[in-house]
Amino acid sequence: MDHLDKLKNIWQNQSESPIKFTESDIYDMVQKKSSSIVKWILIVSILEFILPNLFFLLSDRTKTKEFYTNYDLNNVMIFYFGIYLIIIIGFIYYFYKNYKSISADTTVKSLLHSIIKTRKTVKYYIYANLTLAAIIGIHVFYKVFNSNLFIEKLPSDTNMFLVWVIAIVIFSFVLFLFWCVYKIIYGFFLRKLNKNYKELRKKE
Amino acid sequence: MTKELEKKFVNELEKNQSIIHKVCRSYTNNDAAHKDLFQEITIQLWKAYPKFRGDSKFSTWMYRVAFNTAISLYRKSKRGIDTSQIYDNLKELEYHDYDDSKDKQLKLLYNAIYSLNDIEKALALLYLEDKNYKEIASTLGISEVNARVKMNRTKTKLKNILNP
Repeated sequence: MDHLDKLKNIWQNQSESPIKFTESDIYDMVQKKSSSIVKWILIVSILEFILPNLFFLLSDRTKTKEFYTNYDLNNVMIFYFGIYLIIIIGFIYYFYKNYKSISADTTVKSLLHSIIKTRKTVKYYIYANLTLAAIIGIHVFYKVFNSNLFIEKLPSDTNMFLVWVIAIVIFSFVLFLFWCVYKIIYGFFLRKLNKNYKELRKKE
Repeated sequence: MTKELEKKFVNELEKNQSIIHKVCRSYTNNDAAHKDLFQEITIQLWKAYPKFRGDSKFSTWMYRVAFNTAISLYRKSKRGIDTSQIYDNLKELEYHDYDDSKDKQLKLLYNAIYSLNDIEKALALLYLEDKNYKEIASTLGISEVNARVKMNRTKTKLKNILNP
């Protein structure tokens, strides 16, 4: 008899676990709230949806409005805000749909897949936002750098190309920082799940 | 109705709890984490219970939800890192009159399973429970051929850990 088969025998005849719960213990557990990774993904994702909008709402909008008026950006910004709304509503819908599909009563592989998919919705949301921010940023730079209001303030021998380069470098760096912060949060949740999913998908 | 369902669930779970304990003991390394994981599995089982129609055996269904919780849903709490209270269940087991060498072998087996990765742990448990490849494949969501290959690899790994 193979050593593992002997162990199988011991395993199947093992006595009761040293830790044992009574019906009343189990009853108490049933009343408790889950602290699963899915719950944390939901909380963090909601924060990711809310926080950027909160910053916008709490910022000094009179100054922002004045800036938009000075550089003729009001209509442009309304247009982008519309796009932003479509993005946010679309993503909240997909996130909720994916979130609802998560159930522990399925195969290990499909549960991993549905959790990863839910979290990925947020990833694409962040990417969409960063892309939109980049487009808006460049549009704003273009408007500002071509306005007399701005040019008048600059010394006459200013190299506009250099201004563009500096603006884009700083702006890209800020976007990159956002991306890094997001990557860290994203990795924190999915490292273990991705590893297990890869392990299951591996064709031997 | 819910109260009745709850009572039935608690009763069935109490009777079948050894399955969850086996999973908990394989995926955690101390009593506090074991209890934590047991609780999370219980919550997930209860959440899924209304949809349980008895198409599969209660024990098979429990295994599936328990693996899903241990592999994907459970987040190790800080207590999980504490290894000072690593299972020293032998002390407790001494109260009973067990065959010492069998207990020792079982403890070594649990330690060996704990050192496997999350998926291999599930494979090892399903093997020890004598589940067939069809059931193993449908629990994990992979093909039977793939389950067979993964199982052989896991068994070899387990043997090597037990007899280096």
